Amino acid sequence: MTIHSVTETTVVLVLVIVTALGFDFTNGFHDTANAMATSIATKALRPKVAVLLSGILNLVGAFLSVEVALTVSNAVVKIQNSNGTPKPDLVADGGAALLLIVLAGLVGGIVWNLVTWLLGLPSSSSHALFGGLIGASVAGLGWAGVNWNGDGSKLDGVIGKVILPAVMSPVIAGVVAAAGTWLIYRITAGVAERFTDNGFRWGQIGSASLVSLAHGTNDAQKTMGVITLALIATGDWTDTKNIPLWVKAACAVAIALGTYLGGWRIIRTLGKGLVEISPPQGLAAESASAAVILTSSHLGFALSTTHVVTGSILGSGVGRPGALVRWAVAGRMVAAWLITLPAAAIVGALMWWIGDGIGGLAGAVVIFVLLLAAAASMYLRSRKAPVDHTNVNDDWDARRELADADR
Amino acid sequence: MHNLGFALEAAWKVLLAGLILGAGLPALFALGVRSLAYGGGAGEGDSERHPIGTAGGYLCFAIVLLGVVLGITFIVASGFGKAISFEHGYPTISTR
Repeated sequence: MTIHSVTETTVVLVLVIVTALGFDFTNGFHDTANAMATSIATKALRPKVAVLLSGILNLVGAFLSVEVALTVSNAVVKIQNSNGTPKPDLVADGGAALLLIVLAGLVGGIVWNLVTWLLGLPSSSSHALFGGLIGASVAGLGWAGVNWNGDGSKLDGVIGKVILPAVMSPVIAGVVAAAGTWLIYRITAGVAERFTDNGFRWGQIGSASLVSLAHGTNDAQKTMGVITLALIATGDWTDTKNIPLWVKAACAVAIALGTYLGGWRIIRTLGKGLVEISPPQGLAAESASAAVILTSSHLGFALSTTHVVTGSILGSGVGRPGALVRWAVAGRMVAAWLITLPAAAIVGALMWWIGDGIGGLAGAVVIFVLLLAAAASMYLRSRKAPVDHTNVNDDWDARRELADADR
Repeated sequence: MHNLGFALEAAWKVLLAGLILGAGLPALFALGVRSLAYGGGAGEGDSERHPIGTAGGYLCFAIVLLGVVLGITFIVASGFGKAISFEHGYPTISTR
């Protein structure tokens, strides 16, 4: 290997790390809504306070996830051995082949996260990441590069780790939240509102905080795993039992900053668009989410926070007699969920082909620049109809909102 | 479709635990709110204070808080490679 190619690989490695942190950042603001949309909608917390609290808890949560997350990609693609080291044939060239797959996959994930944010749709960031990686792996390694169905010994593969949980988890969360809401309304029937609303606001803040903490531990470690994998591929890190401290710190800060920025468009859809939420419903929804997320990660049932929370909020609408549930909004979300994985995969594959076609450092730089261009154009588009902490709670006008999103 | 079997096996456990913790604890919280309101003299038609209601309310909140603490312990423990085990009937932290 020449000095020249070593330097080139290092530059690509830096691009991968920056892109991974960028993904972590979008993961943060995409998912602020999961924990805080209900508390903001019921005014249990002021919008700015809510995102600050959620950001801090995500930061804390990310640092708590010291468990090695190095094998995170193994569930869906075959670029790593079971101990977390990269497949030898992908690092034969100094790691460039693996880096390109990871970079293209990350770009696919980010682009899809930004598109859905622009539309105000809460789609799963994990699906976006996995989709991007699947697309890039198919492009780079062929269909056999994807772990579709596992080996039959445990819940594994795209089917077992992504698709089945995505179908089941919103339903489970919805049932739990509906039961909780129904019980709460039964129990507190006839109690003066001045007692209930204040009490339930506190309950809501507590349960939403739990969701934020769990989110930090679950989601930040995916990016930590991806960055560490890239470092191992280039030989800059060798320990498969630990993650470098700076990687952990950088990912924690990225997801916390993203959360603090707040994906106001998505917060608005989840908090105001889906169901008109009252404090008891907010408590039921967040408690159901926290319980489902925590018990399923205990059981190795990998699910998306977004799917769980959306299911819970819908359930809290179903469980309250006479509540308004906007099924049209729910339908749009489900549609977004269905296309998240394939859409991110297509972008990921496309990026791999472009990067590979140009080749080397230039290829990696080109797809990085494409990412920047896509991000900038979507940001500019979002400024035409900005949603921020000042108007996040405005009344939901179904016709206008949908027209805005489609424009 | 071995995966479907594994998924259903996990799903019903999540549903069961979810119903107990995710719906049960909020219901208990609601009971606490109701009890507190009763204690504070907000019952229908009477404005007398009932200390027993206040006490019962705080008891409910304490149990809910315990559940939340358990949840946080779980997050922290799994982050450090430990697991919470219920084999003794009460939660203990063990190495996975």
